[in-house]
Amino acid sequence: MAPALFVDTGSPVHRLNPVTKLVALLSILVIVFALPQWWTSAIVVVAILVPAAIVARRARALAGIGGRILLPIVLVLVLVQGFTFPGGRTVVWQWGALSLTAEGLTFALNTGARIVALVLASVLLVVTTHPGDLMSALTEHGLSPKFSYIISSTLQLIPSFRTRADGILLAQQARGLAIPRSPLRRVRVMLPLLGPLVLGMFTDVEERGTAMEARGFGSTVRRTALEAVPDSPGQRLARWLMAALAAAAVVVPLVQELL
Amino acid sequence: MIELADVCYAYPGAERFVLEHADLRVEPGTIAGVVGASGAGKTTLAKILSGFIPHVDGGELSGSVVIAGRDLAGLSLSACVRQVGLVIQNPFNQISGARYTVRGELAFGLENLGTAREEMADRVTQVADLLGITQLLDRSPYELSGGQQQLVAIASMLVLRPPVLVLDEPTSQLDPAGTRMVFGVLSQLRESGCTIVIFEHKLELLHAHADRLHVLAGQRIVASGQPGEVLADPRTDEWGVGATRYTRTGRLARDRGLGPVAVPLPVSFDEAVGFFGGGPR
Amino acid sequence: MSDPIAVDPHRTRDRLLVVAGAILIAATYSYLILSQPAEIAASGTSRAGLIAMAGYLVGAVLIAAGSVRQIPTAVIAMIPVAIALNIVAGQIVSTLSLTVYLDSIGTVLVSVLAGPAAGVVTGILSNVIWGLTLTPIPLPFAVVQVVIAVLAGLAARAGVFRHVYLPPLAGVLTGFVTAMVSAPIAAFVFGGATGGSAGAIVGAFQAMGRSLLEATTLQGLLYDPLDKAITFTVVGILIAALPARFLQRFPFARTYRVFGKGPLTRTPTTSAG
Repeated sequence: MAPALFVDTGSPVHRLNPVTKLVALLSILVIVFALPQWWTSAIVVVAILVPAAIVARRARALAGIGGRILLPIVLVLVLVQGFTFPGGRTVVWQWGALSLTAEGLTFALNTGARIVALVLASVLLVVTTHPGDLMSALTEHGLSPKFSYIISSTLQLIPSFRTRADGILLAQQARGLAIPRSPLRRVRVMLPLLGPLVLGMFTDVEERGTAMEARGFGSTVRRTALEAVPDSPGQRLARWLMAALAAAAVVVPLVQELL
Repeated sequence: MIELADVCYAYPGAERFVLEHADLRVEPGTIAGVVGASGAGKTTLAKILSGFIPHVDGGELSGSVVIAGRDLAGLSLSACVRQVGLVIQNPFNQISGARYTVRGELAFGLENLGTAREEMADRVTQVADLLGITQLLDRSPYELSGGQQQLVAIASMLVLRPPVLVLDEPTSQLDPAGTRMVFGVLSQLRESGCTIVIFEHKLELLHAHADRLHVLAGQRIVASGQPGEVLADPRTDEWGVGATRYTRTGRLARDRGLGPVAVPLPVSFDEAVGFFGGGPR
Repeated sequence: MSDPIAVDPHRTRDRLLVVAGAILIAATYSYLILSQPAEIAASGTSRAGLIAMAGYLVGAVLIAAGSVRQIPTAVIAMIPVAIALNIVAGQIVSTLSLTVYLDSIGTVLVSVLAGPAAGVVTGILSNVIWGLTLTPIPLPFAVVQVVIAVLAGLAARAGVFRHVYLPPLAGVLTGFVTAMVSAPIAAFVFGGATGGSAGAIVGAFQAMGRSLLEATTLQGLLYDPLDKAITFTVVGILIAALPARFLQRFPFARTYRVFGKGPLTRTPTTSAG
């Protein structure tokens, strides 16, 4: 089963080599921390991530998934740091013992902007890149095939794990047993049923290992790949440039400080 | 050629031997069927034949397991794996999950062994055609039915073209048509020189396709011979092997005073026709 | 379980990678604690955030890279199941708004059965898979999974899982360490806002005059020991339920007599005798 977040629209962003997108993500990570003002992150989001999402025809998915992840974090960040930031001096609003400070809000803005940029950049990578392609590309660049196997296998195992768990629940319902609405009670009902499922999956592992070994997984020869991951000299150059840009974002402020 | 001599085996930490003084001989380019009650040690024997015991499972193995003139104990696991292909019992567990399509799943073993890309694509197309799963190539292996998964599991091993093939109940999830097709493919492989050991319950098909039949019971191989001879043996019930429906019918008829007395009980349809004198009118 | 014929030429390199990774993680933490970045200047925390993320991430990657080669296929095959357990349990628990996470049951189980190297890979890849399927928020905390795996492996070697009452204690100790290690990430990357109730507690400690790093550390100390105590206990229960033959398959469990059952070697008896 293909992971739900990835939808192939065949856009140019989808067709980029996954390593190029990963290097872009890591470069963005370094840059938004190295240049800590909120507008660095804002520029990254407005000038890079949003256009890329539109080109990829995944802007709505990015907004939906990103919003769901970010909303609670940003809300907590603004409330907690706005009211209790240790460096807060300038009170902008007072309500009883609680005082909202400008320093706290600035801190929340800078930190929040970084989190927004990082989450959106990661989600954009995930919604435009099939994990199988990501793993193949990384394996070509020297990642151990064991990592690649574990990630691909887990991604396909989780849905079947859920299907089996749902099957158990449905069987319970078919037998006339009520499934409680409250999640805590539901867990209490599910635990004795899921126990055998979990144990069964662990004991299946023996066979899975045998089957993999039988197909040469433990072999030490140099592996080949059925399908090549498309790459281009332009992307190779772009990767180096992005890395250089990230390095510059770290080094230049340090040098300026020293001078 | 496969030659097991005086093989004893116990799993690590186990108090009992699963196999005791087991002997088995399979000529090259033949199909050997192994039958036995569930729990008789079929899966254990399959793992011994493919080197997983003792290389992976550990435990105490004595005696010799010689395949194509080399003792598996002296080979590395990856050398054993190149020599002997193993199709395990549960097709769901045979699927690696390392790839997202049947095509990728079939190529997984070839990738691990470093096969060139063009050859890999050729072999995948060929094996898919052989087992009639070409239309599944772009689907996810996890979205298939049990029978389809089983065909993919068998194909994922055939694609490696091992000189010896060991199959542990390879048709358990298949419908009769699929089962007949798999046996047909195995017979085809035998013609190309592959040595095949198949652990199976379907006695009629074994009788039709296997060159020899071996019975695993009481921790050892208790009988070996032509499938017809072995299945006609009066001790099959005692071994927990059961009998074909033709033998059962013949036995029932004889118990009621019907059918010829001097002729051995029938095993196959053809023999049953002869046994009952031309069959029903 | 591994191939007895092949000799691994990379062993020394693997060890060096693991040691380098561990030193980097320890150095990162020490630097962040000692430098106590001035929190009024936003650049102070952001630089600390970058150092925390880079130091921990590179350290975790080095340890994973040094660990993966020595893991036999039989154990590799178990890791996806363990990760699925981490994620499915973690996800269910996260919908309950409790103060526990239970997102490392699989990591601890693998560490106890197959050793810390396999646990480390399970833990790091769990967070990677969170990132690929649900949310990237746990990714910067991958180092926490490394710490859990290493401590669980050490606890198993020490025989903690031979007894019923010791796993929760080992869990509490592990929780103290993970609280310390994760605090800089929670503070400098997320500004203390890692969740609703956790954020409120960080706010409460800040309001009492604690610094951001102190507040996230104290919040971690309130949450993590309980979480890890439950996790270790659940693993103890799972182990009791798994068949002995399955447990005996793991050389790590056999070598260190993790479950203390039976002699190391046993001569089987023949059915005839």
